[in-house]
Amino acid sequence: MQSQDKYRIALFSAYAIAIHSFENLLPTPIPWLRLGIANIITLATLVLYGFRAAMMVTLIRVILSSIFIGTFLGPGFIMSFCGGVSSTVAMGITFSLFPRLFGPVGLSLIGALFHNAAQLFIAYLLFVRQLEAILIVTPLLILLGTITGVVNGFIGNILINNITDKSPQ
Amino acid sequence: MKSSEIRRDKKVLTERMTLADILLLAALVTISISGFVFIKEAFPQGTDVRIEVNGKLAYRLPLNTNTTITVKGIIGNTMVEIKNKKVRITESPCLNKICIHTGWIDRGAVVCIPNRVTVFVDRSEGKENKAIDAITG
Amino acid sequence: MIKKLKVQSSKLKILCFIFLLFTVHCSLFTVSACSPQKEKIYRKSKALMDTLITISAVSGSGDKAEKAIDRAFSEIEKLDSLLNFFSDNSELSEINRNAGLKAVAVSPETFEVIEKAIYASGKTSGAFDITIGSVTTLWDFHKRVKPEDKQIKERLPLVNYKNVILNKKSSSVYLKKRGMLIDLGGIAKGYAADKAVEALKREGIKSGLVAVSGEIKAFGLKPDSKPWKIGIRNPRAKNKEDEIMATIEMTGMAISTSGDYERYFIIEGKRYHHILNPKTGYPSDGCRSVSIIAKDGSVTDSFSTGIFVLGAEKGIKLLEEMGIDGIIIGKNGKIHTTPNLREKLEIIRDSQRQKSTD
Repeated sequence: MQSQDKYRIALFSAYAIAIHSFENLLPTPIPWLRLGIANIITLATLVLYGFRAAMMVTLIRVILSSIFIGTFLGPGFIMSFCGGVSSTVAMGITFSLFPRLFGPVGLSLIGALFHNAAQLFIAYLLFVRQLEAILIVTPLLILLGTITGVVNGFIGNILINNITDKSPQ
Repeated sequence: MKSSEIRRDKKVLTERMTLADILLLAALVTISISGFVFIKEAFPQGTDVRIEVNGKLAYRLPLNTNTTITVKGIIGNTMVEIKNKKVRITESPCLNKICIHTGWIDRGAVVCIPNRVTVFVDRSEGKENKAIDAITG
Repeated sequence: MIKKLKVQSSKLKILCFIFLLFTVHCSLFTVSACSPQKEKIYRKSKALMDTLITISAVSGSGDKAEKAIDRAFSEIEKLDSLLNFFSDNSELSEINRNAGLKAVAVSPETFEVIEKAIYASGKTSGAFDITIGSVTTLWDFHKRVKPEDKQIKERLPLVNYKNVILNKKSSSVYLKKRGMLIDLGGIAKGYAADKAVEALKREGIKSGLVAVSGEIKAFGLKPDSKPWKIGIRNPRAKNKEDEIMATIEMTGMAISTSGDYERYFIIEGKRYHHILNPKTGYPSDGCRSVSIIAKDGSVTDSFSTGIFVLGAEKGIKLLEEMGIDGIIIGKNGKIHTTPNLREKLEIIRDSQRQKSTD
């Protein structure tokens, strides 16, 4: 691994941790369930530096911020861990299989969808155990996820363009 | 060979939303909205059937059990049928039979005024009664 | 460089895969550790004995609960066929048809419930009396039929529990006077609750609740380890909010309520309800409502009726003598309770709520 990559991963992880911690303050319908705004960073990392960097950033973000917030290995950690990993994997697979099919918005939407799906699944398995309750919040979450997905996509797009413009040719 | 340079050629696709993006967005919005509709259909508001005679609770039973019960009203017996999460009055001693013509309901109420029988479909009991397992008297 | 990158990324992929596996295992483990046989309350209602019966059973398995509940219902069905006053095929009708003629041999259940009824009659000095049947048939609380005073006076001599002759050896029942009628309406439902609970227990159910209309018997604890909570109906409820007058938590006990609001009609401002005083043949005006708590449903059912007829003062005295708990709403709405019950009872009636907010 090159030092520049390490530096970038560290920098992006720091951004992601900041966003993740901030997001933790926002209320959601199911406790420990998050919208995944930190996906912006994962998205930008994926497009700019590839899947493994994105996965590194996600893992560092999830683990470190849970330690900072104090939820490490708690339910919130399991939720954000599974959500983060599954959304990164989904985006990574999509990006490597169809690099030209989806833009950042599409990738972000896929990420948000898998983020929510994984979190709902974990919430069902670990906490709720009532399929009805999960099903009732599912459409709402898909809608919220779609909205944040689009917003994340656009912000990610700007971020990617800025970084590619500023970096030396 | 920096990894950033390897990825540089993909810069072009970050400029715009692709067709696939728009299709995906449309699909997700459609799924979530139809999801709302589906949820509303699959989990109706009413979960309990409450039958009152002369304003007094006579029966309370869940909407998801298929049964037919006879309710003794003021002037005779009213037959109430519960089937497929819907309720109707099938027989009534009253003259105008408005209650029977109301047909199946899954929310709200059917009333037979001459026989003083009211069939409600409502959510589970209020806060205070919710913890109560049975009522004597 | 590219080659190196590839090696590293495949390593990372494996790492990620292991992480994912780890997560899945963790979650599966947690699920399997907490989910096995989570106990739930299974509930089923049926219209039997001219009323709605609801049986609840706590079990880890839905099939087991359903089987037990069905057994309990078939037990009640059997009792209904034996003790139904209106069915010509019941053993009770056979006894009534042969009044003044001969003793009728009956099943152990019929014999037992009549024996328990006679015991309650003795304890309440005839305030509870199953031989009231001949007078009850004169009244019709649905069609608002109030009989002539003469008719009632004629039938009163036929009402006396002492004229029921029980023979334990031959398990037979004999009514001494021609025209006597036994009506078990004041005890059969409570007895049915007892039998249904026995059936549930035989099927291995550890906790449950049987509600035969207002005759309720509970045993064991709910899945949240709490006793069952029973609401006592407000005899003069104005709306749905004050439908419940008080609540009580109990287990291993039965509760029954007799009230003047259950079946009644009002003529010229006077309330005629279904609880008749065996001495006069007219509705008893001693109380508005009586709830009794005891081990057996047959006891609570019969004594709630008997004590309703006795009235509040005599009623509380009798309950204290017998060591049974009860709550009596007197003529004017005053609440009388036995001393034991005061702490257990949670009164939520309107007047009480107002007092606490004033």
